[in-house]
Amino acid sequence: MEFELKTVKTNGTDEGERVTAGNGGAPEATERDALFAGQSSSVCRIKKELNAVICSRARLWMVIIIIVFIIIAVIIISLVLCSVIHEDLDEKYDATLFNISQSFNGSFRLPNQVFKEQLLTLNSSEGNTLATGLQKKMVDLYRSSPALGRYFSEARINAFRNGSVIADYQLTFRMPAEGQHQLRNFTLSREMVYNVFRQFLFDQETQSEPMYIDPRSLSCSQTY
Amino acid sequence: MGTGVTSQECFTCEHNDLGQGVWLSWKYCSTAKIICTLLVESMFLWQYLTTLLLIAVQICKAQKCDDFTDLDLNNAIIGTSLRVRLLLYTSANPECGSLVSHTNLSAHPQFNLSRPTSFIIHGYRPTGSPPVWLNNITQLMLDRTNGNVIVVDWNHGAANVNYLKAVENTYKTAENLTAFIGKMRDHGATLNSTHMIGVSLGAHISGFVGKRLNGEIGRITALDPAGPQFTGKPPKDRLDFTDAQFVDVLHTDIDALGFRAPLGHIDFYANAGTDQPGCPKTIFSGGAYFKCDHQRSVLLYLDALKPVCNFRAFPCSSYNDFMDGICMDCNQFGTAGCPVFGYDIIKWKDVLRIGQTKAFFNTNKVSPFCLTGYKVDVIIWNQEVRWGYITVKLHGNGKEAVATIDHKSSKFQRYKETHLFAQFDKDLQTVNKVSLTFSTGNVFKPKYKLRVLRVRLTHMERKEGPLCRYDILLQENKEVTFRPIPCEESNF
Repeated sequence: MEFELKTVKTNGTDEGERVTAGNGGAPEATERDALFAGQSSSVCRIKKELNAVICSRARLWMVIIIIVFIIIAVIIISLVLCSVIHEDLDEKYDATLFNISQSFNGSFRLPNQVFKEQLLTLNSSEGNTLATGLQKKMVDLYRSSPALGRYFSEARINAFRNGSVIADYQLTFRMPAEGQHQLRNFTLSREMVYNVFRQFLFDQETQSEPMYIDPRSLSCSQTY
Repeated sequence: MGTGVTSQECFTCEHNDLGQGVWLSWKYCSTAKIICTLLVESMFLWQYLTTLLLIAVQICKAQKCDDFTDLDLNNAIIGTSLRVRLLLYTSANPECGSLVSHTNLSAHPQFNLSRPTSFIIHGYRPTGSPPVWLNNITQLMLDRTNGNVIVVDWNHGAANVNYLKAVENTYKTAENLTAFIGKMRDHGATLNSTHMIGVSLGAHISGFVGKRLNGEIGRITALDPAGPQFTGKPPKDRLDFTDAQFVDVLHTDIDALGFRAPLGHIDFYANAGTDQPGCPKTIFSGGAYFKCDHQRSVLLYLDALKPVCNFRAFPCSSYNDFMDGICMDCNQFGTAGCPVFGYDIIKWKDVLRIGQTKAFFNTNKVSPFCLTGYKVDVIIWNQEVRWGYITVKLHGNGKEAVATIDHKSSKFQRYKETHLFAQFDKDLQTVNKVSLTFSTGNVFKPKYKLRVLRVRLTHMERKEGPLCRYDILLQENKEVTFRPIPCEESNF
């Protein structure tokens, strides 16, 4: 093993010396050659074979190095290509197959709103503005959710009640028939739908905002 | 001639103090010293001054406390013959040891035999220097036990370049100690309340003493018991769990200077008992390369004696299983939970005495060495199975604790909870933010995403509600920071 290593090394230094031969390194090189020749004749033979001219200037060793480089380049390019054209299975879905609906309803409290009689009717301007604002909040939240976004269908404010202001809401999701059992138990479970909303409420920066929702007031249950 | 007179004078002034039975405080001593030097200054030539000052200081020191034998490499090369000195420390004078007579125990009024006594026995001293940890351990042990702490100084005997000579001396030291403990028993001490803490060779000395006393000693704590010359020996020639009523052992260097096999009722393996974090990995670091792992055992015990550190250890069949987090169930130990390495392990005595238990824990690179354990449960919704490593960072009150679960690639499967065991470098009282990073270690493969339904963090020591976060998209090698919320009862 060690012996083989040595032969390769010898070749390398010898090549280097051949180039500088013109600068007076020649006698040294020949001396060494003689030394190694004494050690083994196979070294010489390999050297000679590697130096064999393939065509005009290209020698065998150059060709070998080029081939090795090409192989490495092909491997790298294919790996890069593979990762670029990789398709994420989880990002592909067909929304037209989502035809089973699942709804949740619940309520939350808006401590910074003052209750007015007009809020009892959603058609009133006050009721409408507040409901639209809250609906937008919920739609934005669930649409941007990585897990629930694709199944989300609509968010609706059903009513406002007294208690500073308490809002009743309804969320509707649509899912495919395939694997619906697992979806109901995990991704579209009450725990997920509720906690995605809950953590969003805990993330609210300011408590003084008029649309601030008290996270602890949130309730949610599945409707059958 | 003149010098002789002065030192005599110095001597007498201090001797009188002792004769009156007044304990010579530092202040007192320095006043005496000043008087002495003044005398000298007025009477003699300047050139004698420095020598006399040194003599005065030496006398002060010698009368104040008895110190551990300080030898040097020369002594070790020549070789030392065994001399066992016993240095007593009590809470009356915790920083000052006094040499105890082997024969006349009543000569030491502060040696209260109705109180528990702990022996601290050092190991091989190839350079002859006193162990650096000695003062810390006596101090901390006194805080814990409020009894007597006796440092067994067998530096004459342990300091020898020939390790085999030191090994030979362990038997003789044990004989000496056995006789002393016998005397203590004659004077009313109970073996029950005797605790021996042995480091390396000292661990085996404790074992030999225990054997000679028919295993009646209360407790032996072995800190990385020595391996060379002891590995493979029958129980009578090494420490064994029958040597005391309770034997607890820590292993930190089983692949070099320590002992690999379990020896006690409980054997703790810190960081698998092999390479300790923060210890040099190459020989280029000099002597530390050889002794760092071995010495770490004492440093860990010192931390365990402090109230800040809690080394919870998990009984497990192997280190890998422990790292996989499959040995975290501690129900068999009731409310006490899994054993905690350190002085308090005695609380588990009754459960552990039945057999021999191997327990594992990991440590930090530096003191405080204890880590904080969290259970991390992850459930994902990716259609394909994902493999990778998770790094968790906790943020709170401007501090950050990090845990990387990278001992092996973890498997994540759709709707199946993956249980991970995260060990943080520090314990944060409040956690405001959590950061997660998912990585696979692949360079060429596409960047995968881990689609997390829920991640749950449960502190393993504090009985507080776990923290959760739902619906997280973890892109490979991208850190995601969020605010955790208290978990609610889980349905999945």
